[in-house]
Amino acid sequence: MKQDRSTTIVSLAGIGLAFLALWLLHAFGGYYIERIVIGVGINLILVISLNLANGFTGLFSLGHIGFMAIGAYASAILTLPLSLKSTNLPDLPSFLARTQMAFLPAVLIGGLIAMLVAFLIGLSLMRLTGPYISVATMGFLVIVQVVLTNWDSMTRGARTFAGVPEYTNVWNVWIWAMLVLYIVWRIKFSSFGRKMMAARDNEIAARSLGINVVASRLLAFCLSAFFTGVAGALWAHFITAFSPKSFYFSQTFSVVTMLVVGGLGSLSGSVVGVMLITLLSEILRNAERGFAIGPLVIPEVYGASQVIMAILFVLFIVFRPRGLLGDAELDVRKFFKREKEVAG
Amino acid sequence: MSAGEYLLQQILNAVSIGSLYALMAIGLSMVFGILRLINFAHGDLIMVGSYTTLLLLLGGTPFVWASLAGIAASTVAGLLMERFAYRPIRGAPDVAMLLTSFAVTIFLENLAIILFKATSRAFPVPALLNTVVSFGNLQIASLNIISILFTIILLFLLTLFVTNTETGISMRAASQDLVAARLMGINVNRVIAAAFAIGSFMAGVVGILWSAKVGKVDPLMGFSPVLKAFVASVIGGLGSIPSAVLGGYILGALEILLQGLLPANIAPFRDALVFLILILLLLFRPNGILGSAEKEKI
Amino acid sequence: MKKTVLFLSAILVIFLISCGSSGGKTIKLGMLYNMTGSQASLDGPSANGAKLAAKEINAAGGVLGKQLELVSYDGKSDAETIGKAAAQLVEKDKVVAMFGFSDSDMVMAAAPIAAKAKIVFITSGATSPKLPSQVPDYLFLSCFGDNVQAAAAAEYSWNTLQAKSAYLLIDKGMEYTLLLGKYFKERFTELGGSVVLEDTYQTGDKDFSAQITKLKALKPAPDMLFISSGPDDIGTIVKQVRDAGITGPIFGGDGYDTPLLMQIAGKGANNVYYTTHSLMDKTAGSPEVQKFIAAYEAEYKTPPENAFAGLGYDTVYLLVDAMKRANSADPKKIREALQTTKDLPGVTGSITFAPGSPIPQKGVAIIEIQDDAMKLAAQVVPEKVPAP
Repeated sequence: MKQDRSTTIVSLAGIGLAFLALWLLHAFGGYYIERIVIGVGINLILVISLNLANGFTGLFSLGHIGFMAIGAYASAILTLPLSLKSTNLPDLPSFLARTQMAFLPAVLIGGLIAMLVAFLIGLSLMRLTGPYISVATMGFLVIVQVVLTNWDSMTRGARTFAGVPEYTNVWNVWIWAMLVLYIVWRIKFSSFGRKMMAARDNEIAARSLGINVVASRLLAFCLSAFFTGVAGALWAHFITAFSPKSFYFSQTFSVVTMLVVGGLGSLSGSVVGVMLITLLSEILRNAERGFAIGPLVIPEVYGASQVIMAILFVLFIVFRPRGLLGDAELDVRKFFKREKEVAG
Repeated sequence: MSAGEYLLQQILNAVSIGSLYALMAIGLSMVFGILRLINFAHGDLIMVGSYTTLLLLLGGTPFVWASLAGIAASTVAGLLMERFAYRPIRGAPDVAMLLTSFAVTIFLENLAIILFKATSRAFPVPALLNTVVSFGNLQIASLNIISILFTIILLFLLTLFVTNTETGISMRAASQDLVAARLMGINVNRVIAAAFAIGSFMAGVVGILWSAKVGKVDPLMGFSPVLKAFVASVIGGLGSIPSAVLGGYILGALEILLQGLLPANIAPFRDALVFLILILLLLFRPNGILGSAEKEKI
Repeated sequence: MKKTVLFLSAILVIFLISCGSSGGKTIKLGMLYNMTGSQASLDGPSANGAKLAAKEINAAGGVLGKQLELVSYDGKSDAETIGKAAAQLVEKDKVVAMFGFSDSDMVMAAAPIAAKAKIVFITSGATSPKLPSQVPDYLFLSCFGDNVQAAAAAEYSWNTLQAKSAYLLIDKGMEYTLLLGKYFKERFTELGGSVVLEDTYQTGDKDFSAQITKLKALKPAPDMLFISSGPDDIGTIVKQVRDAGITGPIFGGDGYDTPLLMQIAGKGANNVYYTTHSLMDKTAGSPEVQKFIAAYEAEYKTPPENAFAGLGYDTVYLLVDAMKRANSADPKKIREALQTTKDLPGVTGSITFAPGSPIPQKGVAIIEIQDDAMKLAAQVVPEKVPAP
């Protein structure tokens, strides 16, 4: 990168501003706003790590929410208070039944287990291309769902896994989010990242240049699964009670939408996508309860928010099939200099 | 019931459910063959047809007419879907198309919830579809016989169509290579619309049979069958009609046999096994059981 | 670029305006149900029941001289959304109590937030007896726990139906069906009965032929079938079981309490038994039930879709009764009064909370369908209830 120093300064300033904004929201926003901010942070990690797997390599995974589930359950099992373990999970293997871990190691282990699973399935799946990989990873999502629903001794099956300690807060979520954003940013502009994107744009050309396409995809996939697992763990300690059905198609769709709206391959696009979708859906969710503009009273219509979001999404794809930013990045400096469209 | 009878009964069960999967898989597979689009909203066409039929039945329309109207409604809905959601984005990345189909699903399902409420409604089935024929210890519901018959008839007509009509031949050409087909002067819009029309028509038929089998309709009824049909079309080999049918029957057999033969503590993992087989097939025979062993279609 | 920023800021402004709180001279109760998504078929009727109750109460002059207002958000069957909605109810709407949901996951996404604000949460439809201990002091059930109805079913099967052996079919996708099946098996085998085969399916399965064929192959045939299923699947299951020529008694829980059962299964619904809250019949039910069904039909042009409608209705009356006895809409006083609820008549049976117990003591109604009609077979309190 040419302007490395100014980029660093701008990034640091951006991060500083972000945390200032967080502090303000935390201090004055109240609990509702705080929950939105935490949700945005977790979704940001999910979308950025999905971008790492999907946007950079061109392999569209529909199974990432499976890694989120793995991270969530792993961390929840590891941190569950011992007293709850004996009543809620009486059939745990003894080494787990005696363990109660702190937050950070549990989150890390959650991420690592997700990564290990990604490695094992990725070894073979990374050879697939196009829609076939979407189908195969969707199969993975279903398999995770079925296993979680039936592995009673570890997950309580379909029953609610409750009592997970509420460790997640605005700060630790956003530290993770910034960290993930930073790491993935570095990867995108590293030689490794460029290799991946070369392989995405033209696999045969990339191969002829000596790029090991499968290996680079696998690495991206595993790293992405790790972060997704971390996001799952953070989510688990945020929501504190869940069951396997929390991690299925509707969750998949919501994350993928944010990614595609932002632009595949664009990290700033991911940030914008998450925030835009969160804001819009919050507005619509409140609006669908009915409201009055002067004498005009709109009654409550539940489901209207999803209908409107779906229409907006289709329109969006029609007019910007490559998302808000394509795979380009928002450049703050350009914004200050002169109005210029940066989308690709 | 002897062991032989037990197996025979399970095979009957498998063929019955397999027919429905096959009919659904045809529609999915035809669209995929041409557009590389996994149309998740295909299942909601089932819902559209079923609700139309139900509302007409409740209004006093005779069953045959109500069903025909339901099938017509599915077909029209499929064409509208193609025209307003998929045609404008043709050429967008595969992912964008996939997501659009998700969005269409969300749109239709929530619209149905707003219009018809989320709770299930009973689907009144005429006696003809609701009797059980016994052969000794074996039973087969009349509905299942009708499903199998319909599958055979529709398949026969469809085969005639794709081999003997101009649109049908264009359709096969388009599924081989869309760009080349266009260069050869094939009207791609017409071909794609025809694929959607046929697929949606089949979805309409399945909608009636499925609702009669289940006995009720609800706004989310399309999602799980379309997932199954999708698996079926992949097992057979995406993009070809005979493979989709074969895939439907194989899936039916897999599901029934796994559920029927596995011990009770493993049987719940049935769907995981089915999807595992799906992934293995994608890896080792990406063109399905019938497909050639060529590594992958790009 | 600038356009995007302007657009985003415009949205933000609208959003902040929409967050503005609204005041009023009403008593606000927070109502959380999933009006869309996978839970909507259970929650929709509950919400309708609750709204009907509020309408009746307001028509009769309200509570403590004020009108009752149900502030409601759609949970969308999504835990994150529910968390946000619960936070809004606490902060923006300043409700004095919350109620809702038919599923433990959903309850657990909202109840802890209510508890933090020292507001009670009553679940109208989640029947897991283990649930209240997760949110001590602030989480109440308005219905009996699954262990109670399962024990009643087991005792009735053993004593009255004289069943010695049972076949068990359990939906593995729901907490309710898992617990119901588990408690039934526990009590039934304790009485001396045997479970000859235990099979499973997943919520939303539509074809049960494999399970049914397996059941038919059993020799000797079991005396009864206990099918633990939710309201959306049971009609289909009974229909397919009967189509296969199996005529023996089928038993289940309050998931069966839906007109869909008889509509879908037709004649097949005969010889079906289930435990529930009360006999939901327009002519044979109790006076409260008859009045409720008539009012519900007048309001929504359909009879109550399932047992959850009555539970939602009773939950609002339960809260209003507590406010009246406390003579206050203070959250703390409501909670104290709620705990001392005694013999409150309702559509789903009379409600009494024993000291310290967040699960009401309610009788179990056993309904029998014969000759295409439901009738109250027995009104029982089980002798022994499995521990939660």
